[in-house]
Amino acid sequence: MPDIIDVQNLVVVYPDGTRAVEDISFNVKEGEFFGFLGPNGAGKSTTIKTLTTLLRKASGRVSVAGYDLDKSPKEIRKSIGVLTQETSLDVDLSGWQNLHLQGRLQQLHGSILDDRIKELLKLVQLEDVAKKSAGRYSGGMRKRLDLASALIHKPKLLFLDEPTTGLDTQSRAAIWEYLEGLNRNEDITIFLTTQYLEEADRLCRRLSIIDHGKIIADGTPWELKEAIGGETITLTLTDASLKSRTMDILKSIAGISNAMVSDSGVVAYAKNAGQIIAEVITTLDRNGIRPSFLSIGSPTLDDVFLRETGRRIRADELSRRETEPFLM
Amino acid sequence: MSLLERYLTKLVKNPTLLGTNLFTPLLFLVLFSQLLTKFSTFLPGQSGGYLAYLTPGVVMLNAMIGAPQGGVSLANDLNSGFLSKMLLTQVVRPAILLGRLLTDMFVTVIQSIITIVVAVAMGVTISSGLPGVLLMLLTAAFFEFALSGVFLTVGIRTRKTETISALSGVLFFPLIFISSAMFPVSFFPDWAQTVAKYNPVSYASDVTRDLVVGGLTVNTFVSAYLLIGIIALASFLATLYQFRKVIS
Repeated sequence: MPDIIDVQNLVVVYPDGTRAVEDISFNVKEGEFFGFLGPNGAGKSTTIKTLTTLLRKASGRVSVAGYDLDKSPKEIRKSIGVLTQETSLDVDLSGWQNLHLQGRLQQLHGSILDDRIKELLKLVQLEDVAKKSAGRYSGGMRKRLDLASALIHKPKLLFLDEPTTGLDTQSRAAIWEYLEGLNRNEDITIFLTTQYLEEADRLCRRLSIIDHGKIIADGTPWELKEAIGGETITLTLTDASLKSRTMDILKSIAGISNAMVSDSGVVAYAKNAGQIIAEVITTLDRNGIRPSFLSIGSPTLDDVFLRETGRRIRADELSRRETEPFLM
Repeated sequence: MSLLERYLTKLVKNPTLLGTNLFTPLLFLVLFSQLLTKFSTFLPGQSGGYLAYLTPGVVMLNAMIGAPQGGVSLANDLNSGFLSKMLLTQVVRPAILLGRLLTDMFVTVIQSIITIVVAVAMGVTISSGLPGVLLMLLTAAFFEFALSGVFLTVGIRTRKTETISALSGVLFFPLIFISSAMFPVSFFPDWAQTVAKYNPVSYASDVTRDLVVGGLTVNTFVSAYLLIGIIALASFLATLYQFRKVIS
């Protein structure tokens, strides 16, 4: 399969001098479901805005849908659909009117446009509310309408900037299903950015993990997690000053391949974590260390991020949950 | 064209906005003409009395009230991401600005027609007839266009609708009252007469007034259109400059 997106040494600098994207290179093949996973401010939106012709790059070579970004931005805009992070609908217009306007702006007319609107309203299940003002839609409905409007001109490549941020679990699951269907049934290539681990894990066949404008890891979700080696033992410590000593103690236990300090405690990696957990607890206890929380799990993409950066993707949320003392 | 359709649909869906925008001019027209009937005695040689004097000023007030709408709309589209969405389509970029400008000019024309109809119903005769009315509408639309560029520039630059509202509040009252729009300049103290002499609102009102009461000279017409034209050109270039900065 040929590359539908090819990015070489892309650098994007904001007018205030911030280097938002720092020399990244990646490629996406036709028909692929590809993702950028990273925390807020990692450079995900900047990359999407650059690739979709909304931001100017400082340097690098970018080709999208077979067109050079510098030479043919108009042709690129014709071939792509974009779902921006802000749900950009006209809330005064109805669902149908929003799609109609978008269609007209994309040079569609008459019965071709009317048929396409019907088809899309059916796809995102908004037929019943098509005549209501978009302002009266729920967050999930707005996102679905926005998705439909991004598809109006049948793009072969779809860019999605954090499509489910701020949505409830149910709406998120619905969006996931639409996206999987589009990729599988309509053969639309999808480039998605997300800060949600499970979203990247479930949807993306291949992904890059991005932080501070740099790609820090890439591969299939399975490859990335496999590279961690074994299972994870996560410990939360109330006393932060014990972190590095705990890490050293854990490293000395046979069977533990590696240990790292994280935001709220220490994470250790082991091939058969269940078999050595008793030893971990007794060894720590002997040294006077009592974690407030301990868990064993399969490695997640967050562990990949942690290994590369020493931080969690969503540090705030995780540490809040981990400090709840429901174990030990 | 589809963008014009968008704005007009929005307008129809927000009848309160149109109502509020029309309310002030009509209130001025009815209230002032009824309260200040004695002004007519100070206007010797003018047919139609104070009501005929006031009508053109109120038409210009319509233009002034319409002017900030474009700036507000563009600031909102910038903040909501709707502008990005439009930029990603195949629409030619100047059309985004043009669609907005045309809408506001159109609304000004509609409001002005309503104002003129009310004035005529109250007894005003437009001495220049239908061609005169058309020229009045054109002047109102042109004046609205010239002023809207100021607010579009501010709207794109600050992205804050509050700034536009504040600016329009600060600008409007002095501009409208220290001009020949509402009251004859000869009633003013010297300093206000000087301000009114250079106030563009006076120029726009004078042309329109001569169309109502008669006696439009080439000189009045040319000087007004020249001044409005200069403002229009300057504000439009400023708008274009800000707009290009945003879209590139």
